[in-house]
Amino acid sequence: MNAALFVFMLYTLAVFALAYFSNQLLKSKGFLSEYFLGSRSLGVWAFALTFAATSASGGSFTGFPSLIYTYGWVLGLWIASYMVVPICTMGWLGKRLNQVARISGSITIPDVLRDRFHSRSLGLVAVLIILFFMVFNLVAQFKAGSVILKTLLEGVDIFHDAGQVMSRLAESVPFLETSQGGEYLLCLILFGVAVIFYTTYGGFHAVVWTDVMQGIVMVVGVLIMLPLAISQVGGLSKATQDMAQMIPPRTGYIQVELEAPSGENLVLNNKNWFIAPIEGGTAEQPLFDVFRLKERIEIESGKTTGTASRNEDEKQAPTEITVLKIMSPHEVSRVLENASGGEDPDFFKIQMTEFTPTDFQTTNPETGEKEDFYPVDKDGVPLKGMYVSAPGASPKSNVGFLPASIAISFFVFWAWSGAGQPSNMVRLMAFNSSATLKKSITTVAIYFSLIYFPLVIIFCCARVLMPGMEAESDRIMPAMSVTLTKNAGIHWLAGILVAAPFAAVMSTIDSFLLMMSSAIVRDIYQRNINPDASDKTVKWLSYASTLIIGLAAMYFAIDPPQFLQDIIVYTGSGLSACFLAPVVYAIYWPKCNKQGILAGMMCGLVAHLSCYVAGIYLNGSFFDPYLVFEFDPVVTGLVASFLGGLIVGNLFPPPEEAIIKKYFAKNES
Amino acid sequence: MPDPKLLGKYEYDPVFLNARREAIIILFVWIVFFLWTVPYCYFNGYRESIDPDNLELILGMPGWIVKGVAFPWMVATLFSIGFALFYIKDDELGEAEEGADVAEDRAELHSSEQGGEA
Repeated sequence: MNAALFVFMLYTLAVFALAYFSNQLLKSKGFLSEYFLGSRSLGVWAFALTFAATSASGGSFTGFPSLIYTYGWVLGLWIASYMVVPICTMGWLGKRLNQVARISGSITIPDVLRDRFHSRSLGLVAVLIILFFMVFNLVAQFKAGSVILKTLLEGVDIFHDAGQVMSRLAESVPFLETSQGGEYLLCLILFGVAVIFYTTYGGFHAVVWTDVMQGIVMVVGVLIMLPLAISQVGGLSKATQDMAQMIPPRTGYIQVELEAPSGENLVLNNKNWFIAPIEGGTAEQPLFDVFRLKERIEIESGKTTGTASRNEDEKQAPTEITVLKIMSPHEVSRVLENASGGEDPDFFKIQMTEFTPTDFQTTNPETGEKEDFYPVDKDGVPLKGMYVSAPGASPKSNVGFLPASIAISFFVFWAWSGAGQPSNMVRLMAFNSSATLKKSITTVAIYFSLIYFPLVIIFCCARVLMPGMEAESDRIMPAMSVTLTKNAGIHWLAGILVAAPFAAVMSTIDSFLLMMSSAIVRDIYQRNINPDASDKTVKWLSYASTLIIGLAAMYFAIDPPQFLQDIIVYTGSGLSACFLAPVVYAIYWPKCNKQGILAGMMCGLVAHLSCYVAGIYLNGSFFDPYLVFEFDPVVTGLVASFLGGLIVGNLFPPPEEAIIKKYFAKNES
Repeated sequence: MPDPKLLGKYEYDPVFLNARREAIIILFVWIVFFLWTVPYCYFNGYRESIDPDNLELILGMPGWIVKGVAFPWMVATLFSIGFALFYIKDDELGEAEEGADVAEDRAELHSSEQGGEA
């Protein structure tokens, strides 16, 4: 895996070089417009790829593959609205938003709202909402980036040693205290410093150029993996037929008793497997149960059993070891084949044992009894076909992974939530002409088709090639890269493939960082505190705020709060619930007034937030939101925002004539 | 449809009119693909309609994914390309008034200061 280290270093160097060239541009042009908006001069490739790369966050290459692996072909339906994402996110607002921003000289979204309605308070509310959502999101993205880098560098000796040093350092320096381990901390610092440096120094153009490079890495990675995956699985038809026969594995616990005492001290983790004989196994039924460890256990030399190392407050007894039980007979055979007759050091034979499942269960609220909803037919035989049909078997929910209402929500979500992201809208203000927009929609349409649907195919193949990866499904992308390139005999390729998720998260962070910085310098300082500020002050303030925001987000990511993936979802959908309707009304509705816009923002914010707050009382967690008519909060928020804006906008008089004329009348000159 | 004249007296900006017409079409495009994909998958891709032992395969993928997602995806991509290249108008977006808004802020600030002193 030294290839990964090499790729990372090469990457960082390239990114720094791009930042240097961007900084040269800053010297020759108007600072603010160049630093935050690239002087509105983006051409096709830069605009198309920065747009695509910013939308594809780290999740596209970690969470998404993990979901495909876990639920199968239904993810095709989950991601389906990406077929219209390019035209909806770029075509819907692009041309007009770009024009409006040119008329007013706006360089941020709050700027646009403020200028269009001549209302200082509107601008401020918009800035505060953006900052509120972005602060959390940025911390989450930093953590995601570090975790990805850590996964990439796993197994590199130098990295491991440096991680140890870092651990000791963290113990002695109070503010470096982390629950994530020395290697995480090292990755956070390496990764964080690189991103913060190139973003601060180079500004918008540096971000755009690195996005272009990262966008190319992503698509090349996917296009290399696709044929490798299909050929190694023996053709896609065979893979799908295999999947049709599979039944989902179960999580639960067993008592571990090795067949023979261990000859050395063993530390086992989720790379290790247990094989246990079954009483009365027949030729049709496998003769063995196969389990994959889901936690760490230690077995001392000369002993046959050990205890799990986990937090004391967990209810399970320490001798009960959490494992994943493979349920499909032919997956069991494949695992045993991989074990090559029990000689693989990752496999351990254990005594016959009883498996107690803990997933696919709900507690009946009336009787307090546990009910098992593992999919079976009326004779109790597990149902096949879960991986080739919707909604997909979910260990957490008895309605499955993607019931129809959630499928509808996602079709709305990807297209309209994407259109409503301020980070995407800012990019729409940066292209240089209508022709660029037109060619970019074409480019992004092709680009997304080459990434998202092929990813579904690749990780459906992974489901067949690598059983039991549910035990560490977030590592499916690097694990699959290594397996594919090893089988094909081209090891160095893994380095490029694993760089794709890293590229994705970097290109998301850099644009968020710049957006927050622009909110502070432009929207708060220059437009509210000191419009007289000299160019020099504004320039140093921009550098300083980008740097400080970056460092602060990195600091909070040292010991990050839980639920970061949920935070990313919450903030992403919240931003679109607040901004899509207001921006649409601002640019397409001449008589719209500031009251309507404010109502749109507030209705979106409150409706969306209420769903989450109601989740605390009804479902027991903020991140298990209440679903109005079973739809995701983003749908509720968007509907409330559009309706609220429309109703209130009609109740108040239109703004003064000069403003309407400025933005909607034909320019006589 | 908009009044023939903005506020009864000004010509509408053609960029605005074109962009709005394009936006309305895009909204309908989203609805069309929504109505294609979600109902098709709902009636053909959910568990009850699938027989795992006799799965319909097209190009190695489950038939419902191809007809409900992959095929409309191809059509949507081709449509997006055609629409972008041949329908969206090549409007002139104008020169940016860099700093115009801040200049206004500045003027406002100073006029209010003077007003306060007077």
